[in-house]
Amino acid sequence: MMDLSGLIAGAVLLLLLIALAIKGWLHSRELQDPALPTADEDGASICPEEFVSRVFSRDDGDFVRKLGASDIERLFQKERRKVALLWVRQTSLMIRKLMAAHARAARQSQNLEFAMEISILAQFVASMAACAALSFAIQIAGPSVVPSLAQFAQRLSRRMAKVHEAFEASALTKTAGGTA
Amino acid sequence: MLVPDNPVTVGQAYDDLLRRSLSRVGGDLARLIYLASTRDYNTGKYHHDGLAARFDADVACQALELAHRETFQRIGAASLEQLVDELESYVNSSQQSREDVLRAWQKLEPYRVALPADVNVAVAQLFVSNVKIAVAILQRRYQRERLEA
Repeated sequence: MMDLSGLIAGAVLLLLLIALAIKGWLHSRELQDPALPTADEDGASICPEEFVSRVFSRDDGDFVRKLGASDIERLFQKERRKVALLWVRQTSLMIRKLMAAHARAARQSQNLEFAMEISILAQFVASMAACAALSFAIQIAGPSVVPSLAQFAQRLSRRMAKVHEAFEASALTKTAGGTA
Repeated sequence: MLVPDNPVTVGQAYDDLLRRSLSRVGGDLARLIYLASTRDYNTGKYHHDGLAARFDADVACQALELAHRETFQRIGAASLEQLVDELESYVNSSQQSREDVLRAWQKLEPYRVALPADVNVAVAQLFVSNVKIAVAILQRRYQRERLEA
């Protein structure tokens, strides 16, 4: 009986988390400035590291809090959430594009390394989980509570990009060697 | 990423731009607005009479674009506090009353045209958001000053 109620509570919690993550994703789409290009159009572009530090840092929030104006604090929270969620969506899109490109390249490759493929898949799963957790945390508590997770997601996405580049370079070398 | 046709000449034009024009413009925000104003809305090409006269028009265009991107990178990475200071200095340097300038910035959002082409969308959104907040902070500050006076 106890096991069943625990299972139900766990399932409800999981559904709640998924719903919140989807809400966050939809929210970031609604909040995005219509005058700017969408993250979907801009998914492959690289975001500078100092930008991520700025969005997820506490400094700007501390500065606004010291002003003692609740309306400005609310505006700041809303705007910073919007930027952070947009960055998460952009990062997640970039990771998915990389994975799709890698899958296409892997299908054509005749010398797949099993360990490397497992490592790329693990990095993909970890990146997507980090993005989902970030989206959830930003919705609940704001971006300033998850700077480490944001940096982790960014490091993972960059590492994935490098691994994919190395894979493509190696595939090209092997193809050139085979045809020579 | 901008790849200049002739890096040496573009570098010279860039130095000339910094020395003759940008050094007279106070603050990165003012420089950003100034550089964006040298860009044609229809073509996206930059033009500066003096620079084009001393160098080639294409070289001048590339130097202006480079300066625009670099200035945007600096202001985009600035803290909110720094941006408020930049905006205050920009507003104070205007011939109009500071309240009028802020009201126009709040309503018309002219800073949107200050974004360089092909800038990362999240970075652009951070800049737009930060300027919006900086305008609200300065409006509140001046409102308090009026009430205290």
